[in-house]
Amino acid sequence: MPSRLRYVATRVLQAAGVVAATYLLTYLVLFALPGDPVANRLDNPQNPVPPSQARMIIEYYHLDQPVLTQLLITVGRLLRGDLGYSLGTGRSVGDLVVQGLGSTLLLALAALVVAAVIAATVGVLAVFAPWEPVRRLARLVPALSLATPSFLIGLFLLQIFSYQLGWVSSLETEGPVSIILPALTLGIAVSPSITQVLIQGLTEASGRPFVRVLRSRGLTQGRILGRHVLRNGSIPALTLLALTVADLIAGSVIVESVFNRAGLGYVTEQAVRSQDGPIVLAVVLLVSSLYSLVNLVTDLMYPVIDPRISLTESRLGSSRRPDRPALAEGT
Amino acid sequence: MTTTLAPPAPAASEPAARRRSALPALGPGDVAAALVILLLVIAVIAPSLLARADPLSAIGGEALSGPSTAHWLGTDYLGRDVYTRIVHGTRTSLGASAVAVAVGLAGGLALGILSGYLGGWVDAAVSRLIDILLSVPGLLLSMVIIVALGFGAVNAAIAVGISSIASFARVTRSEVLTVRASSYVEAAQHQGSPRWRTLLRHILPNAVGPVVSLIPLQFGGSIVWISSLSFLGFGAVPPHPEWGLLVAEGRQYLLSAPWLLLAPGAVIVITVLSASHLQGVVGRVRRTSA
Repeated sequence: MPSRLRYVATRVLQAAGVVAATYLLTYLVLFALPGDPVANRLDNPQNPVPPSQARMIIEYYHLDQPVLTQLLITVGRLLRGDLGYSLGTGRSVGDLVVQGLGSTLLLALAALVVAAVIAATVGVLAVFAPWEPVRRLARLVPALSLATPSFLIGLFLLQIFSYQLGWVSSLETEGPVSIILPALTLGIAVSPSITQVLIQGLTEASGRPFVRVLRSRGLTQGRILGRHVLRNGSIPALTLLALTVADLIAGSVIVESVFNRAGLGYVTEQAVRSQDGPIVLAVVLLVSSLYSLVNLVTDLMYPVIDPRISLTESRLGSSRRPDRPALAEGT
Repeated sequence: MTTTLAPPAPAASEPAARRRSALPALGPGDVAAALVILLLVIAVIAPSLLARADPLSAIGGEALSGPSTAHWLGTDYLGRDVYTRIVHGTRTSLGASAVAVAVGLAGGLALGILSGYLGGWVDAAVSRLIDILLSVPGLLLSMVIIVALGFGAVNAAIAVGISSIASFARVTRSEVLTVRASSYVEAAQHQGSPRWRTLLRHILPNAVGPVVSLIPLQFGGSIVWISSLSFLGFGAVPPHPEWGLLVAEGRQYLLSAPWLLLAPGAVIVITVLSASHLQGVVGRVRRTSA
């Protein structure tokens, strides 16, 4: 179908456009504004760069030339797969990012599972628990987890499970066990928006006429819930996937710092600490690409998951997507 | 659905409550939140009313002593009173959040009004800018800005503010679009009211409500963000007390002196919950008065 193909092409171009614009904007903020990190690094009186090395950096980034030339050179290098070199350690940014990415993606995946389990449990309890107090309590969970900074959650988990109970070591990464606490922390941190959207979706789906029809046909409550309401009500939560993935990567900065894990988050934290612009730029590029990619895939997969919706029906794809739910959203 | 401390009003009984009084009745949760906010205001304006001691004065012999009558929340590794430090840190923490919200509100209002009112290519450009801002998570975006601006409490606040521009701008834009299409705006235009006058007298006052009610929410979110940045060491500088920084300082004593972490942590959570509760109350009032 040509119209469908054109829609997909438009969406791909749009996503690429957002990534490119994000890269340019970040570049301008990092390098073109006065006080850019390279100059800061070179002029830092406390930690002087040897003149020969400074000349190398200036030559590599073409700092003696206008911003536009610098940008063109950087983009040219990017297209050839060269992300530049760390200002702090002189190592290749690409290597650093790839090195950290594996462990962080694993953490993010585990945290995503945690978040999904929390959201499903709390969501079902908040809408279908037979006791009013339980429903009420479950509805407080998203606000409470949003109000608790993830470093607090992480530190308390450490305090209880590492120091008090001694179940996992707080110092070394030892095999698969050591991912549990960080994944729990990160999962709790990203869960509230998913939970809120799921509660909304389930409430809406359970009030739809088809539920009454199914009940009148004699289906049990459990079957209605499991086979019909959950499937209908959880679709809106799926559109949050891109936001969640981006939040997971950003959240890893704090979680990896709390649990002393070497990953992309740790690399980012160190880069911000030493004002290492090229690394920060690369991380933004990565997160923005991931976000746009997941967004694109969920948008294009939507008709497969929910056959009632056709691709071309939602031209820009944004009409369906719920906003990132706020701290304490009332309906 | 109300996900705050407020007893969630079931949808069915809401119209009944609306009929009874113009303002919704205040529950125990509302009173608690109001009390917390009152205490916070006092701590910001006159911290010495709540804690007379000097937040920076260290008592050598009393380092890391647990909660007692002399030191309600114990002392830190230098013998400084934790309660005093939390009270005196309120101004920095909440002040930074206020700066963040002000930056976000100003930027968001400007962008939203421009885009919603002017339409056309301005709208297209601003909408793309919002897309870009939303494609980078807030924490990462604020770290990018901190790399450009440098460390410090004010810079962290500005960074968080810039990161929250997108949410303010989006709400403003959609409100301005709705109001602009209303019949009274059309009437004003037919009567020959100049564009800027229509904007200031008719569109802005009617569009600003939902944007304003976003403030408590963003305020709470900013507290969490700024404390996270301070925790990482990108915000306030020691020995100045700031909530996130207090948690970071207490981190090494997690095992021996957990109160160093518990106390400021609990204060952050309670403050943000109160702010988000205020959000719920504002929403209820808006709905009943609408």
